[in-house]
Amino acid sequence: MRLTATVNGRARTFEVEARSTLLEVIRESLLLTGAKEACGVGECGNCMVLLDGEPTPSCLVLAPDAEGREIVTVEGLAPEGALDEVQAAFLEAGAFQCGFCTPGMVITAGALLRDQPNAAAGEIKQALAGVLCRCGSYTKVMKAMEKLAGRGA
Amino acid sequence: MTTTVGRSVTRIDGRDKVTGAAVFGVDLAVAGMLHGAVVRSPHPHARIVSIDPAAAAAAPGVEVIVTGADFPYLFGSATRDQPFLAIDRVRYVGEPVVAIAARTEAEAQEAADLVVVEYEELPAVCDMRDALAEDAPLVHPDMHTYVKGAHVIVPHTNINTLWTFERGDVEAGFAGADLIVEDEFTAHALSHAALEPHVSIAAYDPVNRAYTLWLPTDRPFQVRGELTAALGIPSDKVRLIVTSVGGSFGGKNTLISEAISVALARFAGGRPVRVEFTRQEDLTATSTRVPAIMKLRTGVTRDGSITARSAEALWDSGAYTSNTVGVAIRGSSTIFGPYRTPHLSLVVRQVYTNRATTGSYRGYGTTQVTWACESQMDMIAAALGLDPLAFRLRNGYEEGDPYINEQIMHGVGLRESLERTAAEIGWGEVDRAPAPHLRRGKGIATMLKPTATPTSSNAVIKVEEDGRVTVLVAAPEIGAGQSTVLAQIAADAIGVPIEAVVVPGTDTAYTPYNGPVASSRTTFHVGNAIVMAGAEIREKILAAAADILDRDAGRLDLVDGRIVEDGVPIKPLSELFGGLAYGDGYSITAEARYSSKGSPLLKAAAPYEWMSSIFWMFATHAAEIEVDIETGAVRVVKVAAAGDVGRAINPMACEQQIEGGVVMGISNALFEEFKGSGGRIDNGSFADYKLAALPDIPEIVAIIVESQHAEAPFGAKGIGEPAAAATPPAIANALFDAVGIRILDLPITPEKVLRAIAEKASAEGAG
Repeated sequence: MRLTATVNGRARTFEVEARSTLLEVIRESLLLTGAKEACGVGECGNCMVLLDGEPTPSCLVLAPDAEGREIVTVEGLAPEGALDEVQAAFLEAGAFQCGFCTPGMVITAGALLRDQPNAAAGEIKQALAGVLCRCGSYTKVMKAMEKLAGRGA
Repeated sequence: MTTTVGRSVTRIDGRDKVTGAAVFGVDLAVAGMLHGAVVRSPHPHARIVSIDPAAAAAAPGVEVIVTGADFPYLFGSATRDQPFLAIDRVRYVGEPVVAIAARTEAEAQEAADLVVVEYEELPAVCDMRDALAEDAPLVHPDMHTYVKGAHVIVPHTNINTLWTFERGDVEAGFAGADLIVEDEFTAHALSHAALEPHVSIAAYDPVNRAYTLWLPTDRPFQVRGELTAALGIPSDKVRLIVTSVGGSFGGKNTLISEAISVALARFAGGRPVRVEFTRQEDLTATSTRVPAIMKLRTGVTRDGSITARSAEALWDSGAYTSNTVGVAIRGSSTIFGPYRTPHLSLVVRQVYTNRATTGSYRGYGTTQVTWACESQMDMIAAALGLDPLAFRLRNGYEEGDPYINEQIMHGVGLRESLERTAAEIGWGEVDRAPAPHLRRGKGIATMLKPTATPTSSNAVIKVEEDGRVTVLVAAPEIGAGQSTVLAQIAADAIGVPIEAVVVPGTDTAYTPYNGPVASSRTTFHVGNAIVMAGAEIREKILAAAADILDRDAGRLDLVDGRIVEDGVPIKPLSELFGGLAYGDGYSITAEARYSSKGSPLLKAAAPYEWMSSIFWMFATHAAEIEVDIETGAVRVVKVAAAGDVGRAINPMACEQQIEGGVVMGISNALFEEFKGSGGRIDNGSFADYKLAALPDIPEIVAIIVESQHAEAPFGAKGIGEPAAAATPPAIANALFDAVGIRILDLPITPEKVLRAIAEKASAEGAG
């Protein structure tokens, strides 16, 4: 079936199978491989994208349900060659190790700060609780987030 | 001169990581590729009576079906005991039996469900203690016929590794003790749980009869060696191209998804085959930490000097040995901890069981033995009425002390790591719990870790026409910042800015040999090779500059990417070769090899020089915890964690390893546990196999100890492997401080804590 959606600011129309997930479409049809599948059942947060602005695990969304909606992936956060504020802060703080979960982390973190620019530490921890990082980069993630939220160095 | 070494340079792989541009194994698609799926054993031990693939073969999209009979090879780095696909019998629940390649992943999975396999169940042995029984079912009745390394096996039993070690006179040592304690500790199986699941793409070129693999791995040359040895083909017939690695932790270093993709590719007529395991497969049927049961006996004098220690360690390799032999032997050898022990003895056994294969896991056996050693150190201190920190300091290794094989140890930052973590956690100060049902406590634990010795690394450095420097080393970026640290070393060794250095991914067709990215050996070994090749290429650049610029080479220098004459910059390296006609072109390369083999630093008592380590790493963690005596829940409040890295090439990258190690240690100690019975793992999802998440993370203070090392590149040793081991015993010791209970078997669950609190209360009531 045909799916029309806005992806990273561009209207896109493409063929999808009715049983495909949004994550499969993003990765396999659009070749945007930033969002990752680490569990496939909404337990790890590594596949987060913004769906109409809301951070959403794209492995839990059936592709047809994305019809007419606006999707932003990690690739769409900043123009090619540039970084958004969250990406820049993560890079500077070293808030990643292997980098596999980082797209899910920056997508979720950006949405939080958009809604709560001065989010408290507890709010940051709750917002990012669903994004698993086996390398344990959490301490540096908090450092980056504290700075973005207007605290710390 | 150093300009980048010692600075927290932004990681050179960072931009690709935060933008999602990095290409991991799962991100790669090769034109024309098929997709694989696996039919797995439902039984822990059974004979395969028949396999009927007819329905699967007729299913839509199916192109290739392979069984063990079609691809009857065995692999294994220590003992060649593991089939690519089960041959005649299955030995664990989840063992691959049939592999299928189809046009789509869904078609392959659906076809896999149609394969009919008939089994005749055999008696299984799913517990490592049971595996030692005289009448235990044999997991490998033909073990004695396998190709294997030098380790000792016991034929016609399940014991696939036996090692004993003795120094001094252990009975005399115990006779001289005022107190002897003996305890048994258990360290459980853990999933590596790298967020990137096991994945690989393999292609077989029928013309050259050669395989190409695209994969995330931390041991490219060793995986190639395992494959060529198993298939009986030369090294040029296997090429490995390594992607970014989405976490390994010791898990991505042998043939796992690769066994399936290679077997399928062999029959796919040249089409590449991609195999990605689901999270359920990844958790239940790949590899885990080697579980261990450790009996530890220690004699001490009244004033707290260790007189003797003896240990018996039992390890469970699961159904195949994989890389567990080294884990069991090398891991066990450090069970005595970083303490002077005049008399000691050790018996190590590892058994096969009908459980999923186990293997190396961050720390290579030290996470298990540190649990035993450091729990018992506190139990002894309590029995003697000594401060646990003072007891450790009294017995701990100092610079120049002999190790248990009499190697003289250099670069020993143990004392500093103990003192600084203790100061940071507020050792001896009592923190009041914020509510009546909560109790607080502090604990400390330390450890030492050798690096694999001897091993070697090679580096080829190439200067391009525009002055860019390409460093060819087989050191995949597994997330620990290897590429950045090596680029820093190259930049300073050569005299160019780090921005001019590129460290390409590993391709065994072009990259020179390296030992594994494991054992925290990369910075030291690859770094040393780069320092040597860097010095050589620097000389070649200056000779070329003298030639091109018609100057006296003796007066030239290379500083921060500029050719300098008597201190005055005269030409940027980026412009040195530009504008020359082809006939005048320069190709500048240098190569070097570093091996720790034969280093005088390794001298030890014969025949135990193999136990020497070219450098020793020390790590100490001090934890403050809060325990809820109504629920048994343990919350970690703060961890101060010190790593003796020799010298921090990149302090930020060292902090990442230390902080990440603590997170892993907390997760291992409090949350992670496989559930199931009869060799079956039932919790194959992150909902049921819990990993630490952000709300679980305490304040973590990373402390970098720099003990320096004379043979190291800029003094640097290693950091990643020892980073997780000390956290679980530090938490257990803090739990004892808080409520006076001891958990000897990991993990520390609320149920065990509540039970222990109740038992203590009833014992005190009875007393």
